[in-house]
Amino acid sequence: MSASSSETLLISRIRAGEPDAWNEVIARYEGRLLGFVARRVITQAAAEDLVQETFVGFLNSLPNYDPDQSLEGYLFSIAAHKLTDLLRHEGRRPTLPLIAEESSDGWQPVDRGRCASSIVRSHERHGLEETALVNALGEMIDHWRRQGQWERLQCIELLWVRGWSNKEVAAQLSISEQTVANYKFETIARLRSAVRGQGLPEEVFPELYP
Amino acid sequence: MLDPFHQPDFEAYLDEALPVEEMTRIEKALRDDPSLARQLAAILARRDSGVISLGEVWRRHRLSCPTRQELGSFLLGVLPDDAAKYLTFHLEVAWCPSRIARPEGLTIP
Repeated sequence: MSASSSETLLISRIRAGEPDAWNEVIARYEGRLLGFVARRVITQAAAEDLVQETFVGFLNSLPNYDPDQSLEGYLFSIAAHKLTDLLRHEGRRPTLPLIAEESSDGWQPVDRGRCASSIVRSHERHGLEETALVNALGEMIDHWRRQGQWERLQCIELLWVRGWSNKEVAAQLSISEQTVANYKFETIARLRSAVRGQGLPEEVFPELYP
Repeated sequence: MLDPFHQPDFEAYLDEALPVEEMTRIEKALRDDPSLARQLAAILARRDSGVISLGEVWRRHRLSCPTRQELGSFLLGVLPDDAAKYLTFHLEVAWCPSRIARPEGLTIP
């Protein structure tokens, strides 16, 4: 089935770099693509990744898009290919990470059994604490993006997500170590305030209370 | 000389959220150096006790990952310069978890 005239027009607008046209494609097909892949993968995150990858694949292949094929069929064929790749990849993955036991010479699977102390904190409680942190961090990141504070965002991302030292971050971003320290101090202060405000236990977030 | 490992590298390793070459490098280092394996065990123990790492939460929830709209605009070359510069950083330096999930799919313009 070939692309309809509205699809052809839509694709022309995307080729012309119109963000609205791109948003329209997402609005039209995101839900159905998610429905298609979500039934075939284990996690929602994997489904989201696949759909993201499908859209990226579509944009990368746009110069070769054949208007004799419908847009919907084209997108779903990309999704099917990505899904096949993922399932092949998952099939090859080791299911258990290996670490060396201190007392053994060989490699043993990590013991996933929980020790007595680990059950003190319930999953539910842990989930609430994590959600609170996600909300606080998410609001801060959104605020930086809206304000165009990209340097601050990059700095904190490298410190916490990559675990780089102040010195390494300063060198990467070509800023002073003092600036890195200031960003870190201010961010920790804001997060501490958010954690306190929600009555969350401080010991769960050791990085905020070094 | 190769870059040294950082704590979040091991956290991401346990979540299989690193680029393939980095997963391989850590796997090899773990086999060669028992102290690194103990570090890994300490992370698992910390997770079991309910302690939350900021970096783990940030990465797992993809707090700074681009939306589909942003990624599309980026690939179409119409994202504002400062946002595009950040996105390149996020993909290349910060090891965007979305990109690591399917590295072959994203061609940076």
